[in-house]
Amino acid sequence: MLKDLLSVIKDSDYISKSNISERLNISEELVEEGFEQLIRMGYIKEDVRGVKCDIGCGGCPYAKSCDKVPIKTIKITEKGERLLAK
Amino acid sequence: MGTIALVGNPNSGKTTLFNALTGSNQHVGNWPGVTVEKKEGKFKYNGNIYNIVDLPGTYSLGAFSEDEIVARDFILRGNSDVVINVVDATNIERNLYLTTQLLEMGVKVIIALNMIDEAKAKNIQLGIKALSKKLGVPVVPTVASKRKGIDELIKETVGLIDEKMSLKPTISYGDKIDGEIKSIKRFFTDKTLEYPPRWIAIKLIEGDQYVHDLVTEDKDLDSDNEFRDILSRIKENDEDYELEIVNRRYEFVKDVTKASVIRPKEAVKTITDKMDKILIHKYFGLPIFILIMFAMFQLTFVIGEDLLGEMMVTVMDALAYAIEIFLININSPAWIIAFTTEGLIGGIGAIIEFIPLIVVLYMLLGILEDSGYMARAAYIMDNIMRKLGLQGKTFISMIVGFGCNVPGVMATRTLESKKDRMIAILINPFMSCGAKLLIYLVFIAAFFPDSGGLVLFIMYFTGILVALIMGKVFSKTLFKGESADFIMELPPYRKPTLRNVLRNIWDNVSEFLKRAGTIIFAVVAILWVMAVLPVGVEPYGAESVLGKIGLFIAPIFKPAGFGTWQAAVGLFSGIAAKEAVVTTLGMVYAGVGEGTELISAIQNAFTPLTSISFMIMTLLYTPCAATIATIKKETNSVKWAIFAMVYTFAIGWVMAVLIFQIGRLLGFN
Repeated sequence: MLKDLLSVIKDSDYISKSNISERLNISEELVEEGFEQLIRMGYIKEDVRGVKCDIGCGGCPYAKSCDKVPIKTIKITEKGERLLAK
Repeated sequence: MGTIALVGNPNSGKTTLFNALTGSNQHVGNWPGVTVEKKEGKFKYNGNIYNIVDLPGTYSLGAFSEDEIVARDFILRGNSDVVINVVDATNIERNLYLTTQLLEMGVKVIIALNMIDEAKAKNIQLGIKALSKKLGVPVVPTVASKRKGIDELIKETVGLIDEKMSLKPTISYGDKIDGEIKSIKRFFTDKTLEYPPRWIAIKLIEGDQYVHDLVTEDKDLDSDNEFRDILSRIKENDEDYELEIVNRRYEFVKDVTKASVIRPKEAVKTITDKMDKILIHKYFGLPIFILIMFAMFQLTFVIGEDLLGEMMVTVMDALAYAIEIFLININSPAWIIAFTTEGLIGGIGAIIEFIPLIVVLYMLLGILEDSGYMARAAYIMDNIMRKLGLQGKTFISMIVGFGCNVPGVMATRTLESKKDRMIAILINPFMSCGAKLLIYLVFIAAFFPDSGGLVLFIMYFTGILVALIMGKVFSKTLFKGESADFIMELPPYRKPTLRNVLRNIWDNVSEFLKRAGTIIFAVVAILWVMAVLPVGVEPYGAESVLGKIGLFIAPIFKPAGFGTWQAAVGLFSGIAAKEAVVTTLGMVYAGVGEGTELISAIQNAFTPLTSISFMIMTLLYTPCAATIATIKKETNSVKWAIFAMVYTFAIGWVMAVLIFQIGRLLGFN
């Protein structure tokens, strides 16, 4: 399941978990869990609201917008690419 | 008498269940040697007392964290007679991964299928019997928060303590791995490391570093050549093995849930698919995006100005009058009255009047973001940017830049290649931030009250366009190299929630007010002093310190059509903070007109054509001090910070001059 998930990610223009769940015939919850597992195992990397204010800007008026990157992106790691090449 | 361990994912309701089981009969300590909290309690059943230990909430029982190691050591070392696995019924697929690992341990497990009421409310159908049969363990539905199913759970759990350990269905990991398990398992006895032999074997094959270290520290095992050979053979394949084992666990979960869980078909999914067919269409996607943005800016004026704007002006005028009367009544010194009415109210007051528009714009942006459309917009732009040879992910930092360039520049941290990151940092200042928005609003009010939406739209898109062009230029000249590939996630569309939209408004408006009270206040105060000194000159006149500075800079802007000293000091103070462009103009023109003084003063000092060249200049020229400092910090280079200041100024100036000169040639005024 994980390898299938990874190759679907590789082939996609964008990630829609509902599309993937349909393509792999597994529930969306399991797709979600699969993503987390792939991240935990280091096959993919996810940027989520990646900006942490570590420049001591707690008092900065814009501190709140700092970790508000609204869009998630996924990248297949070298380990992931190695697996796909097999 | 017996000990029961509670295991479950975080948020599965494990602690609630623990409280329901023990009542107030519990105490909290620490696990020896680690900082993980240990919660223990007792309950009485049929005259016997049972201990319960609430193990840390985890998603798996690997060696990823102290929590996981504490939890699995407790279970494996035989400290508990039964393990209650708390499973969130609304999220069963994800919770069962932990269950598979408990089954691998070969201990007595009972499942508390918790939050069963919420699952029912979500129309999730659960086959309890099928679930129990597939897993080979008892399953008791519970609602811990309402103490439902607790008695049944206690009865079943206590019964399990006295029962003989029955054979559980073991998960097969495929012939190859099953063979490896067999070949290495025989080296361990129950006494080795106090862990079950099969479990040690699985963990070694899975590449669990913690278990691997324990095994290699064992002198008997380490001196056994045959064992070492098998171990190194496993080590060579550990990536493949790890994946296969995890994979098999999921296949098992998939198999179990196929037989026992039916979820309602979500209408949202089909709607999302249908909407995406149009909204991210190869050809229609971009025009629709442009149309949506245009409509958003139009709507901003319809709601923000026609409905709320008038109200705000009335309130502000009344407030300004009341403050002035108050200051006169308490016999304040003349300079305080002058600073307050002309400096503060003329300056900061000028920007407060535009708050309704800002509220409405951020409300609409919040709706777009919360509905999931922003991700589509980024996807459309990503495709365009890729075609231009730019990194599409840059657009995400550009979206953040629409709020403020400081977080916008910081958002470039998610770009991995240095090339992509440098380009994204250098073009971010071209995004119209909230402060620049204010400048446009003032000029729109003065010259284009009927086509405000269109002007805003042009400003925002010019910013994007210039950013794209400069990005292309930089990637061809200064920074060459490969871009990292990535895939964007498009979440399902959903109805925006009032809470999220309100929070988006509040975040932006409170930032705006905080800045008005701090940085902008300070800038106004400093400029006010410069505008009334030296003593004896006409305040806010060309002879003041501020006026002299302005006169010195002004000639640079003559070719762009706004060579007045007031415009020059406005732009100059804008480098401290962009809002200051407006507050400075408000102050130096204070007393010039009546009513909405600033607007009429601007109508006198600018023409429609010079107002456009001035707006373009403010859009593109040198970013504010905070942004420059962030660029310095993020590039770790003073050189690049200075470069960013200078090149943006040059671009802004050239564009402003071009617009003014071409406009004049075409006969515009």
